[in-house]
Amino acid sequence: MICQDFRIVNLNEFSDKKSASFDIKNNEKLLFIGCKDFNLTINVLENVSALISMLFLNDDSSFKLTINLAKDTQIEAFCADFAFETFKNNVSINLLGEGAICNWHLASLSQKADNKSHSISATHYAAKTTARIDNYGVAKDDSHLTFLGVSHIKDGSAKSKTSQNAKIMVFDEESIGTAKPILKIDDNDVVANHAAVVGKINEEHLFYLTSRGLCEDSAKALITLGYLKPILAGFDDNHQKQIMDLIEGRMNNVRY
Amino acid sequence: MSTLRIKNLHAEVEGKEILKGINLEINNNETVAILGPNGHGKSTLFNVIMGHPRYKVTKGSIFFDDVDVLALSTDQRSKLGLFLGLQNPSEVPGVINSDFLRAAVNAHNDNPISTYNFYKVLDNAVKEVQMPFDLATRSLNEGFSGGEKKRNEILQMLLLEPKISMLDEIDSGLDVDAIQIVADVIKKQQQKGQGFLIISHYARLFDLIQPTRAIVIINGKVVLDGGKDIIQRIDKTGYEFIKTELGIEIQKEEAKMNTVSIGSCAVKEAIKK
Ligand SMILES: Nc1ncnc2c1ncn2[C@@H]1O[C@H](COP(=O)(O)OP(=O)(O)OP(=O)(O)O)[C@@H](O)[C@H]1O
Ligand SMILES: [Mg+2]
Repeated sequence: MICQDFRIVNLNEFSDKKSASFDIKNNEKLLFIGCKDFNLTINVLENVSALISMLFLNDDSSFKLTINLAKDTQIEAFCADFAFETFKNNVSINLLGEGAICNWHLASLSQKADNKSHSISATHYAAKTTARIDNYGVAKDDSHLTFLGVSHIKDGSAKSKTSQNAKIMVFDEESIGTAKPILKIDDNDVVANHAAVVGKINEEHLFYLTSRGLCEDSAKALITLGYLKPILAGFDDNHQKQIMDLIEGRMNNVRY
Repeated sequence: MSTLRIKNLHAEVEGKEILKGINLEINNNETVAILGPNGHGKSTLFNVIMGHPRYKVTKGSIFFDDVDVLALSTDQRSKLGLFLGLQNPSEVPGVINSDFLRAAVNAHNDNPISTYNFYKVLDNAVKEVQMPFDLATRSLNEGFSGGEKKRNEILQMLLLEPKISMLDEIDSGLDVDAIQIVADVIKKQQQKGQGFLIISHYARLFDLIQPTRAIVIINGKVVLDGGKDIIQRIDKTGYEFIKTELGIEIQKEEAKMNTVSIGSCAVKEAIKK
C-alpha cells in the first residue's frame, strides 16, 4: 500500500547539470516536474514498491528517463505530457531483477503545431518480470504525435509478461497520430501482446452528447477529458487540478 | 401547439436506402406508437430526425413548426425541443454522468445553473425515475445494466423538458416495475403537453400510456397510420395481415454491421487492480 504524500522534485533546479539520479524509497511517491534537455535515472532497489510520476508543461524539447528495477520491485509510473512545440521523450524501463514489475501510463495532448514523440521501451533481463505500457494520446490542430517503443524479452527471462498498448485519438484532418509499438521476444516461455489504435473520436459518443444540446466543441472537450483523466491517479490534488484545467483550456472551455 | 412534419423523407446509410418516403405528422399533444418488424427503419427515422452524421437524407423535408430541422446541427435540434432516447445508449468512459447532465442542462439555458440548483433538480429527477443516485456520479452509462441505461435516458428527458420526445425501445431491458415507473413519467409529461413518438415491439408499455395513434413502418415507409387497436392486433397476430390485407411484401432484414472505435482507457483498469 502506498499511502505517503507526494515528494515533488522540480528538475529545473538541477538544470545546470542536465542530469540527475535518484534511489527511490519503499512506498515513496515521487513527482518530477520535467525540464528541458534532461537525463533522469531512477533506481529501484530490491523489494521497493513505489510510484513515480512525471509532469511536462513547457518546451521541454528532449527528455530521457531510465528506470532500473531490481529484484522483487514494483513501480506504478505516470507521465502527463502537456509540453509544447517539439518534444522527444525517451523512456527505458530496465527490468533487471527477478519478479520486477512496472506499469507505465502515459497521457499526452498535442495541439497547434506541436511535434511530439514518446518512445517507451521495456527490456526484460530477468525471469518472472512484468511490464505493462499504456500510452494514450490526443492529437489536434496541426500537431503530430508519435508513440514508439520496443518491449524486449531477453533470452533467459522465462515466465515474463510484457504488453505495449498505444491509442491516439485524432481530432482533425490536419493532425497526425502514429503508433508503432514493437515486440522482440527471445524467450519462448513468455506472454507478450501489443495493440495500436489510431482513430477519430467515437462518432456515436459525439452524437450522443450533441443530441443533448452540447455543441461539438464542448462534447469533444468532455470526451477528451474523460479519455485522459485516468492519468490523474498518479498526481496530488494540486497537480490534478492543474492537469484538468490544462486539458479543458486546450480543448476550448466547457461550460459548467 | 408545435407540430413536427415529415414529408417524403428518404435517407440512406453507406449508400443503401433505408427510408423510402416517410410521411408523418405529430403534434405535441399526441403520443404516437411506432411498430414494425426488425430492420425496417424505425431507429433510422429517429436518428435522421436528430441528425446522426452517418445517415444521409437524399430527399424530403422535416419541419418543426416553421423551422427547417434538416438545416440544423444535432445540438440545435435538441435546443429546439427534440429529444431522442436511444435504443442502445453509448457507454462513454471517463465522462461523469452528472458533469454531462449539467453541461446538457446548461446548453439549454442562457445562464449556467448553480451547483445547488442543479443538484436539487437532479435529485428530484433521479427520485422520479427511481435510479440509485450513485449512477449520476459514475462514468456515463459505463457498466450500467440495460435497465439502468434506459432509466438514464428518461432522466435526461426529464432534465431537458423537450417538446417532442422520441423513445426508441425504451421498454426493452426494463423489468415490470421499471416499465410502470417509465409509464408514469411519460403520463406526467403528456399532461404537461409533451408529445411522444414511441417505438416498441410490445403492447405492455402502450397499454399503460394509451397512445393517441399507432403507425407501422415497413420497408422504410409508413404503411399504416391509425387507431391504437393496431397495437393489440400486431401483439396477437404479428405482421402477417400487412401482407394478406394490404398486399405489401415484407423484405428480409440483412446482416448488421459492426463498427470499431476508440473510447476506453485501459489505464483505469490498471489502477483499479
Ligand atoms: N449505422 C448503420 N450502418 C449500417 N447499416 C445500418 C445503420 N443503421 C441502420 N442500418 C441498417 O438499416 C436497416 C434499418 O435499421 P433500423 O435500426 O432503422 O431498424 P429498426 O426498424 O429500428 O429495427 P429493430 O426493430 O431491430 O430495432 C437495417 O438493415 C440496418 O442494418
Ligand atoms: Mg431499432
